[in-house]
Amino acid sequence: MIALPLAILWFGGLVLALLDGTRKPIGYLGVVVLASATAATAALGVQVHRDGQQVMEVAGWDAGTGIALRVDMLGIVFAIPSLVVLTIALWFEVSRDVKARIFPALAVFMGLGLTGLFFTGDAFNFYVFFEISMVSAYVLASYGETPRQLRAAMIFIVVNLLGSVLFLIAIAGTYHNTGWLDMERIAAQTPLIDVNPAIMTATLIFVAFSIKLGLFPFHFWLPAVYTGTRPAVAAMLSGALANIGSYGLLRFGADIFSRELHEAATILFILGTLSIIYGSIQAIARHTPAEVLAYSSIGQVGYILIALAIGGEAGYVALIVFAVINALNKLLLFLSASLRGWIAGAAFAVGAFSVAGVPPAGGFFGKMAVFQASIGDQRYWLVAVILIGGALSFVYMFQIYGARFWTNDEADEATTREALVLVVLVALVIIAIGVYPGPLFELSRDAATNLPERVP
Amino acid sequence: MTLLVSIAVAVMFGVAAYLMLKRDLIRVITGMILLGNAANLFIMSAGLREGGAPLVGEEGDLSDPLVQALTLTAIVIGFGTAALVLGLVYRVYDSHQSVDIIRIGDAEELQASMDDQPLPGDVSALDQSAIDNEAEVKR
Repeated sequence: MIALPLAILWFGGLVLALLDGTRKPIGYLGVVVLASATAATAALGVQVHRDGQQVMEVAGWDAGTGIALRVDMLGIVFAIPSLVVLTIALWFEVSRDVKARIFPALAVFMGLGLTGLFFTGDAFNFYVFFEISMVSAYVLASYGETPRQLRAAMIFIVVNLLGSVLFLIAIAGTYHNTGWLDMERIAAQTPLIDVNPAIMTATLIFVAFSIKLGLFPFHFWLPAVYTGTRPAVAAMLSGALANIGSYGLLRFGADIFSRELHEAATILFILGTLSIIYGSIQAIARHTPAEVLAYSSIGQVGYILIALAIGGEAGYVALIVFAVINALNKLLLFLSASLRGWIAGAAFAVGAFSVAGVPPAGGFFGKMAVFQASIGDQRYWLVAVILIGGALSFVYMFQIYGARFWTNDEADEATTREALVLVVLVALVIIAIGVYPGPLFELSRDAATNLPERVP
Repeated sequence: MTLLVSIAVAVMFGVAAYLMLKRDLIRVITGMILLGNAANLFIMSAGLREGGAPLVGEEGDLSDPLVQALTLTAIVIGFGTAALVLGLVYRVYDSHQSVDIIRIGDAEELQASMDDQPLPGDVSALDQSAIDNEAEVKR
């Protein structure tokens, strides 16, 4: 059962890689593969919700010898939004004609890497799946193959390969210090290792994931890449691939290096605040939608970091809720900003409300969760930061809304009916979360209970 | 042995970092490949035991086989990404007639100035085909 989503994606990806993805039926086949993997993951999620964590020892090795796939609620709540984002983004691109034959296969392989790393219980296996999704992302970044996209892909590869190497070194260090690669056993051992090696390893892991997330001092690659790539690819990178960062910070930070995370809380607060302020101010100064959205992503990451630094159940729940809604927001905004007409404008407005945290949209509850967590933690200056960040995001979102949809409303040929239906669908999902947020919170709470409480 | 390996890893990291800061993309890529290999050497040195070859039937102190398996995997992944990156460098060279980062950066700035010129809402960065064609014509 655990292997089913992975098997669908793996074999689907292999078959698609051999076929010509520029043809419509093949593109839709890719959408079907991703959608069925999403359904299989959801079914697995139901099982996890009912029976608790599911474990599978790969290739029948004894427990502790081989690699374990271990699926808990935390993996599920990140896997489903990521797969949904990939499905919709691929569908969107197929409806506007795919330009490279490998595109659908790459989207599926990216899904494989992401699902694999959300499900694995082994640190090195995590790295392998991480590389599968990153390599697909490297090729996807150059999709379109104009000079601009090639430049964007070049920046993306150089910076992110550096991040991957840092992560690899951190895993080698963890193995040397604890003697294990299995995450549960590493988590049991880390409190016993010396302070200095632990801080070194934790810092390397933090930097590696911050590069993926595009956190403030490590953000420099992000605007060039998000503005250079095509909208569907930008949606995949910011909506699906960036989840590696939030998930990795939770899994490695909150679970394995919880002592180091607690010690670094002040630094995380500072970096998170800087990220929010820097991202918002830069976003206000920009003119093109893609640039504004890129800087807005840097700002949104700040909330994730603040939720992580608050820690405890409230903080982790806030992080998960915010990360899920943020992934959907980014999908909606990148896709709808590339369309014309009042329907796309309305969908974009929903996304803009969601980013700004205005009630009918789901983003309200994402911000609300971080807000409540910081009040519960008695950090009132954080409340001020969140309010200022929200106000600034309101300004930049409507600046581009005005520039994009008020000045020019004739439809262009790239705006297909199918693409419009997709963005409206995503907008409705975001509104649905905003109207009825109970299930998402319940699942996030379920996911956060597996993480240890922060030591006071 | 530990000292020797750490010196080797340190030198490789230093050279890699130096190369990655160069203007020439080929050197940047060489630096990245070297960095990956420095990491591989680091994984080898992270082994828990040192000794003979860990083969079935060998006796006595054997070295840690797990790190060797990890390094092998990392080498394969590094090999794949290196091939991909070199392919991309060729495409960048093909479209810019240069592998000099400064000149490629100039093309990016030209693009950015074209993004800023038109009235807001008229041409978006998301509709790039027109802009890119223009850039190509200029070249």
